[in-house]
Amino acid sequence: MVNLTGLGVRLASVAVLLGAAAAQAHHSFAMFDHDHQIKISGTVTHFQWTNPHVYIDLDSTNDQGELKHYTIECANPGILDRIGWKFNMIKVGDKITTIIAPLRTGEAGGLLKLVTLADGRKFENGAPAGKANIQ
Amino acid sequence: MTSIFRTASLPILVALLAALCTGSGQAAPVDHGALNGAWDRYSTATLDPRVTAAAPVPPPPLKPMYQAEWDAQQKAAKEADARGQPLYGGYAQCLPDGMPAMMMAMFPMEVLQTPGQITIIEEAYNQVRRIYLNQKQLPIDDAEPGFWGHSVGHWQGDTLIVNTVGIKEEVRFRGAPHSPNMQIDERIRMLSHDIFEDQVTVTDPQYLTMPWKFTWKYVRKPGYKILEYVCEANREYQDPQTGGIRMRIGVPGAAGSAPAPAAPKP
Repeated sequence: MVNLTGLGVRLASVAVLLGAAAAQAHHSFAMFDHDHQIKISGTVTHFQWTNPHVYIDLDSTNDQGELKHYTIECANPGILDRIGWKFNMIKVGDKITTIIAPLRTGEAGGLLKLVTLADGRKFENGAPAGKANIQ
Repeated sequence: MTSIFRTASLPILVALLAALCTGSGQAAPVDHGALNGAWDRYSTATLDPRVTAAAPVPPPPLKPMYQAEWDAQQKAAKEADARGQPLYGGYAQCLPDGMPAMMMAMFPMEVLQTPGQITIIEEAYNQVRRIYLNQKQLPIDDAEPGFWGHSVGHWQGDTLIVNTVGIKEEVRFRGAPHSPNMQIDERIRMLSHDIFEDQVTVTDPQYLTMPWKFTWKYVRKPGYKILEYVCEANREYQDPQTGGIRMRIGVPGAAGSAPAPAAPKP
């Protein structure tokens, strides 16, 4: 007889530990400021589905009406596939909202934490990139 | 539970449930074909309570003269991270792990057993290593240095014994320097129907005070199809001033994008 409650708990800790192990992947994310995340909404100008990183390019207009171009780094196609992304789920012209850890250099770019697509679906950026800490 | 199912794939959970229910994997007869298929790293005992997690890889037991250099490298990497300018290196340069690092299975891995050869494919950076069975190892002088070297293996009961030589000196696991004479020995065996381990021993008397030993474990990933991985159009580049990693803003070549970065320092 299998104790399903116990198994559930064990599998939950697996999920956490697998996340920690995966966080060692690829390279340091120290060029991004994970403590001061920002929300950027805009129109997709380019979606690059490549290794070692997927990129979203976005034109965003701020409260002062100024247009700014952002480049947002995502994990890689494999990591994203395995959490439900699809290579063609973001298209040029889509209106999306992102939460990013901005570049420490102050340039208009960052590491994706969460993207909300035009249809309302939300996707994280895989365990190594970590979670959004703002809404 | 939603997050669990997002992190661990459903087929693995189903396989584990089946294994727990049937108690399979206990004293199974030797099956030299059991390595066939797709695998993920197994980094925690809680996935199957009967199999302990692999211990973390210990630091390389370097001789004092190399240890100092290694310590300085680790310190420099930490300080660069603290400055927000992580050091530019292997992965950002689109370079694969090579051996033995590829066996840590950063991404899923596939093992193919064919007559006379076992082939291991690591999804990250499309890495492939070939283990030639029942052949003599080449003399070091004849093993052309490469990322994955020259591997030979044979079965000893339930254990696949593998020896690898010919790793390029610049291919460094955990930043550890090594000589052209470095030998990597592996003992690979099934721990259950769905878990196998690779006991690795790195021997290099010129650089190491003793053999460097660690173990990796893997869990079957039923039905998984390995993805292609071509490292292309990486927008990360080396900052010519700081030597650290920078990210290029804008689509390369597109109007309004940042200019191409200056050539990296040699």
